[in-house]
Amino acid sequence: MNIYRQFFEDLKKYKSYMVYATKSELKSEVADSYLNWIWWILEPFCLMLVYTFIFGMIFNRSENYYPLFVFIGLTIWNFFSANVKKSAPIVRRYKSIVSRVYLPKVVLLIVQMLTTGFKMCVSLGIVVVMMFFFRVKLTYHIFFLIPGMIVLWLLTFGLMCFEMHYGVYIEDLTKVNDIVIRLIFYLTGIIFNIDQRIGKTYPQLATVLGKCNPVAYLLSSMRNSLIYNQAPDWLWMLIWLVLSLFLCMGGVRLVYRNENNYVKGI
Amino acid sequence: MGMEMETKAAEEKRERYIPAPGTYEPAITLKDVCISYSTMQKTSVKQLFRKGNRPQKEYFEAVRGASFEIPKGQIVGITGKNGSGKSTLLRAVAGIFAANEGTIDLHGHSVSLLAIGVGFQKSLTGRENIMLSGLLLGFHEEDIRREMPRIIKFSELGEFIDKPVRTYSSGMYSKLAFSITAVLETDIMLIDEVLSVGDRHFKKKSYRRMKRMIKDRSHTVMIVSHSDATLRSLCDTVIWMNDGIIKMIGDADLVLDAYEDFMEGED
Repeated sequence: MNIYRQFFEDLKKYKSYMVYATKSELKSEVADSYLNWIWWILEPFCLMLVYTFIFGMIFNRSENYYPLFVFIGLTIWNFFSANVKKSAPIVRRYKSIVSRVYLPKVVLLIVQMLTTGFKMCVSLGIVVVMMFFFRVKLTYHIFFLIPGMIVLWLLTFGLMCFEMHYGVYIEDLTKVNDIVIRLIFYLTGIIFNIDQRIGKTYPQLATVLGKCNPVAYLLSSMRNSLIYNQAPDWLWMLIWLVLSLFLCMGGVRLVYRNENNYVKGI
Repeated sequence: MGMEMETKAAEEKRERYIPAPGTYEPAITLKDVCISYSTMQKTSVKQLFRKGNRPQKEYFEAVRGASFEIPKGQIVGITGKNGSGKSTLLRAVAGIFAANEGTIDLHGHSVSLLAIGVGFQKSLTGRENIMLSGLLLGFHEEDIRREMPRIIKFSELGEFIDKPVRTYSSGMYSKLAFSITAVLETDIMLIDEVLSVGDRHFKKKSYRRMKRMIKDRSHTVMIVSHSDATLRSLCDTVIWMNDGIIKMIGDADLVLDAYEDFMEGED
């Protein structure tokens, strides 16, 4: 049986489950808090204030539209890091379900992605409001956000497949993730501009950091299209699109070949 | 199972449904199924990098060479000592475990597994969990919405249905699980030790429900149970498993008598 055809059939078959599970997941996260769904807006907004205050006022950063710069960075980063971090223990987390019914394990990943994806959309809504506030000129460049988003989702999904698979057998992965993701956070230029900060002294290093790290690349191209009115570097976009597709194919294959053994491992 | 039910069950002598080979439509076919767990379940990162020195995986064979065919509409019991592979076999039929060798064919029938203490997302309400379980079992959203009042009524949970499942007592938890399976019927129903769910009243009700389902022969049922009386009164045939091997399979009374003799010999 063709694994990829099975994958797309499962997506269709479990569509309503994924939608309902995402809604329930989002609801249950805030169900017991007083401010309820306001947290989806409040949390990223407060983080933006914290970073703007620390880096904008204390260290006196010079990037244009610095609060926007930080906020877009955090929005994309949170989507990426939350998804990757949560996929390693995901089978264990849904043990009560996966040990009772057969569920294609990629469905768990997609529910996770839709949940964080929803939060990202809320954050992007705040970005739009902030752009009005800072009087950023909107141009057609905003549409260049779309290819960036596609690559981001594909890249994240591919990584998540591998994280989930190895997370079943290697519990240490959660700890390793915490460290590696923290490192990538600082290397990705969420709170500073790689080209400006590193590029001036070490231009080659800046190219390596900015292009060979897909998150950094995607981040800067999304910022460029939103606030600096520049088109992305299409060659690198293509490279990362192709690599992400391969990653997804490898990941889906790995998961489908092994998923019925996952329950035995937990 | 309460005493009065057992006597009542014994009174109702039922015709056992054991069709001759080739004269029935099969619901479940197993061929040489082996299921093993690796006992070294978790590796550390250190061991992963030390390639040549990797510890040998030890396999524990939970089920060895199981082959049988169950006709559509038959009620099959599985019995055997603890750890003899009964639940593993049931989970493999449900598609949760992969068989390491051999094939399991459900001939396109839908299947659900009912087991103690599993299946819900604790932070969600009972109602949401009904919906999620139903969708996972392959039902459509509208169908589940239509059956929702029946499920809630059957579960006797009342107002608790809109409270998070984590606030439920273990009895309520099982009641909800049973009600979902009882109302949203699948072609093949696998039942793992849950016929004694809830209080006396609910037990009776679920037993009656099982009886009805069994009577109309539209469902194929596999029941794992240690209760001799339950198996004798509900099942057509019984599979006796011992150390992962099917020791005997056939008419419920014959197999259970042999099993009892065997167990007495063990004591």
